[in-house]
Amino acid sequence: MDSLNICLVSDFFYPNTGGVETHQYSLSQCLIRRGHKVVLITHAYGERTGIRYLSDGLKVYYVPCLVIYNQATLPTVVANFPIFRQIFIREEIQVVHGHGSLSPFCHEAIFHARTMGLKTCLTDHSLFGFADTGSILTNKLLKFTLSDIDHVICVSHTSKENTVLRAALNPLIVSTIPNAIVGRNLRPDPTAADPNCITIVVACRLVYRKGIDLLVATIPRICQRYPEVKFIIGGDGPRRIDLEQMRETHVLQDRVELLGAVKASDIRKVLVRGNIFLNTSLTEAFGIGMVEAACCGLLVVTTKVGGVPEVLPEYMINFAAPEEDDLVQGISRAIDTFKTRDQHPELNPMALHQTVKQMYSWMDVAIRTERVYRSISALESPPLIERLRRYYGCGLWAGKLFCILAAVDYLLYLFLEWWWPRSGIERAPTFDYTRYAEVRFIRWNRLAREFYQTYGPTYKDF
Amino acid sequence: MSNRKPSWATKRDTTSTRQHHAKGKRLVTHEHNEVIGTDCPSPKQSLRSRSNLTVGFEPSANLAITPHHSTDPPSVRDSPPTGSAERWRKLLYIQQDYPDNYVDASFLENLQKNVNFQSYDYFAVIRESTVITDHISSVVIFVAVFIQLYHRHLDPHILVMVGTVLTFLGVAVWEWRLANDSTAPVGEDEVREKHPADDRTSHPSSQEGAPPLRQSFMRLAIVFFLTLLGLSPILHTLTEDTSSDTIWAMSTCLIVTNILFHDYSSDPTHTIAFPGSIALNAAIFACVLLASRLSSNLHVFAFMSFALGWFALFPIFRRHLKRRLPKAHLTQTGLLVGTAFALFWPITRTLAILYILGVFCLTFLCPIWLIWIQRYKNEIHGPWDEARPKVRRYPSLY
Repeated sequence: MDSLNICLVSDFFYPNTGGVETHQYSLSQCLIRRGHKVVLITHAYGERTGIRYLSDGLKVYYVPCLVIYNQATLPTVVANFPIFRQIFIREEIQVVHGHGSLSPFCHEAIFHARTMGLKTCLTDHSLFGFADTGSILTNKLLKFTLSDIDHVICVSHTSKENTVLRAALNPLIVSTIPNAIVGRNLRPDPTAADPNCITIVVACRLVYRKGIDLLVATIPRICQRYPEVKFIIGGDGPRRIDLEQMRETHVLQDRVELLGAVKASDIRKVLVRGNIFLNTSLTEAFGIGMVEAACCGLLVVTTKVGGVPEVLPEYMINFAAPEEDDLVQGISRAIDTFKTRDQHPELNPMALHQTVKQMYSWMDVAIRTERVYRSISALESPPLIERLRRYYGCGLWAGKLFCILAAVDYLLYLFLEWWWPRSGIERAPTFDYTRYAEVRFIRWNRLAREFYQTYGPTYKDF
Repeated sequence: MSNRKPSWATKRDTTSTRQHHAKGKRLVTHEHNEVIGTDCPSPKQSLRSRSNLTVGFEPSANLAITPHHSTDPPSVRDSPPTGSAERWRKLLYIQQDYPDNYVDASFLENLQKNVNFQSYDYFAVIRESTVITDHISSVVIFVAVFIQLYHRHLDPHILVMVGTVLTFLGVAVWEWRLANDSTAPVGEDEVREKHPADDRTSHPSSQEGAPPLRQSFMRLAIVFFLTLLGLSPILHTLTEDTSSDTIWAMSTCLIVTNILFHDYSSDPTHTIAFPGSIALNAAIFACVLLASRLSSNLHVFAFMSFALGWFALFPIFRRHLKRRLPKAHLTQTGLLVGTAFALFWPITRTLAILYILGVFCLTFLCPIWLIWIQRYKNEIHGPWDEARPKVRRYPSLY
C-alpha cells in the first residue's frame, strides 16, 4: 500500500509533557515505522523554534506564535494560514490530524486544511460537560471545527458519546481508538517496593479535576485504619498545598511522601515503589495512569467516572463512587486483596504486566489510525458551497459568523495562491527513514555488543 | 494482523475473522451496513430505535445527528464477520470484531436529560423574588436620600438619628432572635460575617457569646463613627475637583455594579464570597464620590454613616430576617417599596411610577415568564460530567 504524508498538529508537544504529547509522539513513531511520512506542527516553546528532527526522523515544526494561556496559542482564525499553507505544500501533506480540542492551533490548522481541500481528522482527548460557560464556549468552537471534518477519533467510548453530543456529529464519523502504553518500559520490579509496608501510589497533576479534595479527606482515614500503609504522591499543581496541610495537621510526615513533579520517563520508578495505585479523578476520558500502574503490577483503586470503567478488566480494579466513604471502602478492599494476593494468581505483578501489555500497544493504535486515514483519503472533498452549508447549520448567529469566516478564509486562500503560487514553493526532501533505521540498527547492535562484552552476561535481557 | 491479536485473545475462535479480513480489505459502506444488519442493528437503525427509549433522545430533532455528509462515510475498520455472534461491549481493552466507528444500540444509553428539573411554584418564585426587590428598593432609597440631602431638603441630623435608631433596632431584633433560637450554631455563622475581625465571638466553642457580642458591637460602633466623623472633611474634599458630570456618571456605573454583583443568595455559607465584596466596594466608592457634592461636613458624615449601615449591615439583616422570620421579611419588603416610592415621589413622579411598575413586573410578571420558559430547559447529563466529590467535614475527629 502506498504511503501517506501525514501532518499532526497540536499546541501540545514536547518539551511540554502530558498525555497528548506522548500520544502524538508514539503515534508518529509507529506511523513512520509503517512507512508513512509524518510531520508535526506545534508552536514554538521558548528557545525551541524552527525545525527539529526527533528520533526516527520525525520532523517537528515549532512555529513562532503568541502563547496566551496554559500553552494554548492566541486564536487568530486566519493569521497562521500563510505558514500552514507553506508547510502543507512544502511537505506535500495529504492528511492533517489535529490533537486536543482545547488547542486553537489545531482548530486553525484543520480549518485551513479544509479550505485547501486536504483530508482532516481530529483526536479529542478530553471530556466536557454542558453546563458551565467555559464548556459552552469550547463546545461552540468545537462545533465550528467539526462541522466540516472527515473523521473524529476519541480515546474512549464515553468520550465518543460526549464528542458526538458536543459537536452534534454523525456518530458514524467518530471512531474510538484508545491510548496505549509502552509495555516494555513498564516492567514490574518486586524488589523496589518496601516489603514492610503497603505502599499506595498516587500520580497525577495536583489539580481540582483530579479529585485532590477526596485524596485529602481519604488519606488520614486510611492511615488511621491501617498503620502499615504508606502513601507516595507524585505530581505537582495548585492543590499541593492542601496535601501538605493535611500531612501536617494529621502528623503524617513519615507516612505520606510528596515527590513533586515527576518526569514522564521516571514514572515507572515511582510506580514500582507501590503496591496499590489510587486514582481519585472527578472526570477522566481514558485514564492512562491506571493502565501504566496496572502494567507495573499494581492493584488499582479508582473513582468510577468518565471512560474509566472501559479501560481495564474489573478484576484488576476496585471501583468507588467519588465520595469519601466509598473511596475509603474501595481502598480497604484493595488492601485486603493485596494481603491475600497469593491466593489470586491473576493478580501477581508479572501476570498483570503480561495481560495489560497485550491489551494496549501503540502499533495497534497506529494501525487503527492508519485505517482512518485510508478511509478519509477515499472521500471526496466537498465544494465550497457544501462547506458553507455545513457551517450555516451551527446556530442562528454562530452559523452566519462561521460562514463569513469560511468565506474570508477561502478568499485569503485564493489571494495566497496568486501571491505565492504553489510552483514557487520548494518541496522539502523526504527524510530517508529506511536509511536512518538501518544506521540506527547497526549502531545499536554495536553498542549492545560492546556493552555485553564489558559487563558480561549479567545483562542478558538487554 | 499479528499485531492486532494479542495472544490472550486468540483463545476465541478467530479463524473466521482472519478469512474475512483476508478477502474483504475493501472499505465499502453498504457492505458494512448489510453485514452488521444481519445479527445486530445497523448504526442508523440503532439510532432511530433509540427515540422510543425512556430518555426521549431524538437525534434528528435535537442534536441534528442526521448525517451532514451527503453519503454515509465508509466503515473504518473491516466489517465484522457474519458468523460471529459475539455482542459488542463497551470496553477498550479487548479487541472486538467491530469497526472502530461502530455505533451500538447502547450508544448514549447513559444520557440523562433534565435530571435536576424542578418545576417552580408561582408563589414560591414571588416570595424569592422579594430578595431582588429588596435590594433594588434599598438602592433607590439610597439615591433618594442623597438627592434630598443634595437639595438640602433633608436635615442631616434627622438622617443620623434615623440611621442610629434603625441600626439599634436591627441589632435588637438580631439579638432577640439569637437568644430565642435553639439552632444557635447556624446563627454563629452570621455572627462571624458581621464581625469578621472579632475572633472571640465567631469561635464556635463560645456558645454564650451574646453579651460579649453586644459589648464589642457597641465599642466597634462608637470607634467607627468617631473615625468617620474625623474623616468626613477629608471625604468631603477628596473628589471635590472632579467635575460633577464625571461624578454622576461614575456613581451611576458603580451603583449598577452594586446591583449586578450583590449577593442575592440567602445561603449563609456563601455570604463572604468574592461577588459580595465587589458589590460592597462599588457602593462605598459611589458614596465617597457622591459625598464630595454635598454642602457641609455634617452632611457628609450623615450620608456616609447612613450609606455604610445601609450597604454593609442592612443586607445581612435582610438575609437573616428572610431565613428566620419570613413573614416579617415580606412586611419589610412592602415597607421598603413604600418608602422608596414616597421618597422619590417629590423628586420626580415619572421615575417613582416607573419604579413601581418595575417592581410590579419583577414580582408578578417575571415569575410567570420564568415558569413559562422552563419548558425549553434542556440539560444533558452523562458519565462524562465532572463528578462532585462528596467529602465529610469533621475537623477534630482524629
